[in-house]
Amino acid sequence: MAAARRISFLSARMSRPVETSKPRLAPGCRVSDLPGKSTVLLIPEGALQLNGPGARIVSACDGERTFREIVQMLQQEYRSADPARIEQETADLLDRLHVRRAVDF
Amino acid sequence: MNGPLSLIAEITHRCPLHCVYCSNPFVMSGKGDELSTQTWIDVFQQAAAMGVLQVDLTGGEPVARVDHVELVSAARESGLYVNLITSGIGLSPKKFEQLARARLDHVQLSFQDSDAGPADEIAGATVHARKLEIAQEIRRHRMGFTVNIVVHRHNLQRLPQMIAMAEEVGAHKVEIAHVQYYGWAFRNRENLLPTRGQLDSSLKVVQEAQARLEGRMRIDYVVPDYYAKFPKACMGGWGRKTLLITPSGEALPCHAAKVIPEMRFENVREHKLRWIWQESDSFLRFRGEAWMPEPCRSCDRRTRDFGGCRCQAFLLTGDSHATDPVCSLAPAHKEVEEVVERINAWRGSPAEGSEPARAARASWEYRQNPQ
Repeated sequence: MAAARRISFLSARMSRPVETSKPRLAPGCRVSDLPGKSTVLLIPEGALQLNGPGARIVSACDGERTFREIVQMLQQEYRSADPARIEQETADLLDRLHVRRAVDF
Repeated sequence: MNGPLSLIAEITHRCPLHCVYCSNPFVMSGKGDELSTQTWIDVFQQAAAMGVLQVDLTGGEPVARVDHVELVSAARESGLYVNLITSGIGLSPKKFEQLARARLDHVQLSFQDSDAGPADEIAGATVHARKLEIAQEIRRHRMGFTVNIVVHRHNLQRLPQMIAMAEEVGAHKVEIAHVQYYGWAFRNRENLLPTRGQLDSSLKVVQEAQARLEGRMRIDYVVPDYYAKFPKACMGGWGRKTLLITPSGEALPCHAAKVIPEMRFENVREHKLRWIWQESDSFLRFRGEAWMPEPCRSCDRRTRDFGGCRCQAFLLTGDSHATDPVCSLAPAHKEVEEVVERINAWRGSPAEGSEPARAARASWEYRQNPQ
């Protein structure tokens, strides 16, 4: 009975990270550390399945690396991908996680 | 059939509070009927092996069990994300050191109001000030922190103050949940249901606060289904996402399922979780669409709301198979309309006084503790 009707007025407005933002997983959020299972970001009352780059981005959110450094790291690891697109998609993922209160920056 | 994603572990029915809207059943398990520590640990391990990601340790008051730290630790060791749903009463700075060492992920702390007076009236105990101290401990240990506040006719006008309180205590999320009318809340329904005007004002407050607090504190708002046009997708569908275990080991699809008299539920002392989930009659009963009557059976919304809540259907019509009467298309919708009309007619009526709270205040039926 408790899992009831939830409504949200969350806007599509984005709060984008800037170059010097230092994203960090919010309290109560962690990457599942089970061996042999796909990588999942566990958050209060939910879980987000992460693909390869997504898992790398989230794991890099340690509160020390800057947004710029995380983007550069991915650009080096995925050399065949368009660098501008990597930056765009990293920012998009961090936006979404920020709105869900899973990442602070 | 996919396995459940979350496990609700009601580890005890004992509780120092007596909230008038408690979702626990009227007939509760006493201490002597509770599952052993080892059985709970086995349940957590079975759940994790089935693909369950999260466990809510709840009750009653889960910290009323002396082994609660051990259970947190074991659930976490099993690979589950562990959420402690607590009133805060029974916790202390020392206990938080232990819970942090057990790697507790998240605490959901309940408040009854932003003001101590009415909060303690609803709880039937003097607890509000203590909760504010407990909130500091949650922050100190950097645990995930949700504040839960149940709202109703007597506190909805203080919604802005309640949101401000959640902000002040440093919650990452505040869940503002209207009372749902089962269990003790059903008995107190006439005193709790808000008016339509109150509900409309509250939606504006929530909307403004969500925009202002985006990225800082999430606000989940659970609206009362008596005012909805269509029913809620209760528990995301019967036996689709969640498995609940009672203090004595019964496996239920939801908190209130025991209210349906013809149902028999299996016990984890006798059966494995996987069998209960996949094969037991109780979990199959309302899973899927075969059980549905009209108008659900041919309704486009049946894959979204699953015909609404079976417990509410039983409570309001005596038939657990009926379309949830909160649905505007339900044959029994009149039952809900009558209640809503009565509540809204009270306001301003000279016979009842302009504030129904005044007359109602003395007549709460408080939650009792198990024998």
